[in-house]
Amino acid sequence: MKNNLYTVVLVAFVFLVVIPIIYTLGVALFVEDSFSDNMQLLMDKNTFLLLFKSIMLASIIALLSTLLGSILGFILYKTKVKFRSFFKIALLIPLFISPYILAVAWKDFFYFFFNNTSFISSYFGVILVLTTIYTPLSLLIVGSALSNINAQLEESGLVIVNLRRVILKIILPLLKPALLSSFVLIFIFSISEFSVPAFLGVKVFTTEIFTQFSAFYNHSLAILQSTLLILICILLLYSERKYIADAPFFSVGNKGTSNKLYHMRNQNRLSLLVLFTWFIISIFLPFLILFIQSFKNGTTQFIKAFELLMLTFSQSIGLAFIGAIIIVFVGFIAAYHSTRQNKTQKRKSFDWLLLIVFTIPSTIFGISLIKFYNQPKLDIIYSSYIILLIGYVGKYSFISAKLIGNAIKQIPNSLFEAAQIEGIPFFEQLRKILFPLIMPTLFVAFIISFVLNLGELGTSIMVYPPGTEIMPIKVYTIMANAPQALTSSMTLIVFSVTLLIITSFYFMIKPFIKKNNFVND
Amino acid sequence: MIKLSNITHLYGDKAVLQDLSLNIEANQLTCLLGSSGSGKTTILRLIAGLETPKSGIISIENRTVTQNKQILIPPHHRHIGFVFQDLALWPHLTVYENIAFGLKNRETTPKQSKKDHINKTVFDMLDFFGLQEYAEKYPHQLSGGQKQLVAISRSLVLKPKILLMDEPLANLDVKLKRKILQHIKNLSQSSIFGLDLSIVYVTHDHKEAFAIADKIVVLDKGEIEETGTVEEIKRSNNKFMKYFLEY
Repeated sequence: MKNNLYTVVLVAFVFLVVIPIIYTLGVALFVEDSFSDNMQLLMDKNTFLLLFKSIMLASIIALLSTLLGSILGFILYKTKVKFRSFFKIALLIPLFISPYILAVAWKDFFYFFFNNTSFISSYFGVILVLTTIYTPLSLLIVGSALSNINAQLEESGLVIVNLRRVILKIILPLLKPALLSSFVLIFIFSISEFSVPAFLGVKVFTTEIFTQFSAFYNHSLAILQSTLLILICILLLYSERKYIADAPFFSVGNKGTSNKLYHMRNQNRLSLLVLFTWFIISIFLPFLILFIQSFKNGTTQFIKAFELLMLTFSQSIGLAFIGAIIIVFVGFIAAYHSTRQNKTQKRKSFDWLLLIVFTIPSTIFGISLIKFYNQPKLDIIYSSYIILLIGYVGKYSFISAKLIGNAIKQIPNSLFEAAQIEGIPFFEQLRKILFPLIMPTLFVAFIISFVLNLGELGTSIMVYPPGTEIMPIKVYTIMANAPQALTSSMTLIVFSVTLLIITSFYFMIKPFIKKNNFVND
Repeated sequence: MIKLSNITHLYGDKAVLQDLSLNIEANQLTCLLGSSGSGKTTILRLIAGLETPKSGIISIENRTVTQNKQILIPPHHRHIGFVFQDLALWPHLTVYENIAFGLKNRETTPKQSKKDHINKTVFDMLDFFGLQEYAEKYPHQLSGGQKQLVAISRSLVLKPKILLMDEPLANLDVKLKRKILQHIKNLSQSSIFGLDLSIVYVTHDHKEAFAIADKIVVLDKGEIEETGTVEEIKRSNNKFMKYFLEY
């Protein structure tokens, strides 16, 4: 029964998500008539120059984000700095906000102070915006690794050398896998990012793919270009497969190891200043600028923006909600199978599928879905919200599976063996033992999936059926021709709604996690 | 009672038990004594049906329960109780719920007045171990010793014929250890609650084994070094035994 359910979910995922990708790549590579012409275009010097620029850009963003994330991570997870709990949550917010929102905010910032946006509409702008977005990811990865270093390893070093030597010779080498993972993941996300360079008018490889697809209708070339990106992502993933595939940084609560915290007497103020400055740059300033720009000429544009977006609220929230439920279900099935089954090779296959789809650039995933479902027999999917839901599930099930998987891994096997010996049936074990113990994680996985669905743009912009009214698409399609104040107002509203949802969920879940904290005793 | 014949068991490529044969007699408290990695916990898990050996036969009460790499009788039909090293108390259930959980799911529990029956059985057990006042507490609200007693109660409430105990007293202070050991000894020597109990007790501490065992099986690197009563083991001339008992 349990294996049947797993097989059904795996087969459904393969058919609905994976086959469209394989089909699209296959058609572009082996069927399209223009293949040889497009191969020539693909081999063109300019294509490789653009790819090289995109690789350099992604490398700089990955390097900066990992560096900043490590500094913030060390302060938050290794020192007794004031307001740690607040900053641990607050600094993660940019990760859950659509990248284009921050792009709009920073463009407004340069417009407001310098009356000129040419500086931000450049590679520098892309680096600035994407670094503020991906630094929290690095903070999450490095912070998780730091808090899981066994305190005794550091203490045994501290009795013979000073703290600086302990950091250099013990902590840093232990952090190496996390630092590499942070770099690789951020590189993949940056090279795949479409909305920020597109909004800032910077030509990179993903915007070129979008142009070939949407402006020139050269689907085959767009897909061939995508294949290059996918190959780069898979190569990098392969080099860092163990740590990223296990993704220990996606977890709720601690893992039971004691964490050593340091008193940084002299540097305490400096640490607080660093945290506060980053909070201002990554959250407060964008919000403030959007606010000023929205209201500088009165409330007319804000009201208009609200009226435009009001129609989208129910559909956006409804779709994000249904998507999140499916993502948690798929994530649970994949996680349960990979953590509690014995056949090591087979059990990892679903994990790998989820990871590969997760790292495929959103635009390419969107193109794959359109190409595959745009057939009369599959019209029910192509012309309905189902295609958006498939997009959400494909993109975010990996995160949900890892969160839930890491929670299941923390439950000792003996709890289930004890139930097995007492003759408790399988589904009763799930209902009475497993679900209550992982409930906080299921809830967190739901919230994260919901917020990510709500802000998803890269895939949605490609696949949204006619008549769809969801927030990110509405903002993005209006942006091009709307007055600055209207764009800022719409972005401010989306920003505020997302912040409000994150904050309310946080307060809903806080007592819930505290109550269930015995799980980690 | 329990018979293991020519058992070989591997973890990955590493053999933890090599062609091991062992008889455990009924109504006795048998201690499996050995240092870490000697294979004692593996034997317990094989008897319980939580692991499948690479080769060999396991029988309980003349019924073959495991043979040819196959579990013929699943753990919950082997009439066993298991006290795990980490106790495996379900952290989200109260003491009462932990003990009653298995009873609620047993087909043999009479359907009529099921609730009353469960209540009485659980409270009788709690009473015996002096835990009545903790019935509504959660495991994390109990002391180490109380947790051990709850784990033992949970295993006994289903009236097993064999109680398997995997170093259940590790990390307890000496005073508490003595108290619980006395409870275990009492259990093995009397027919409390109509139990006709055989106990297999795993430990690395020879003093613990000498205090409670009727019979001791000494293991090293997956093989049996010595078998006998406490006196026989103490008198043993086996080189390994002398070395082991010294430390």
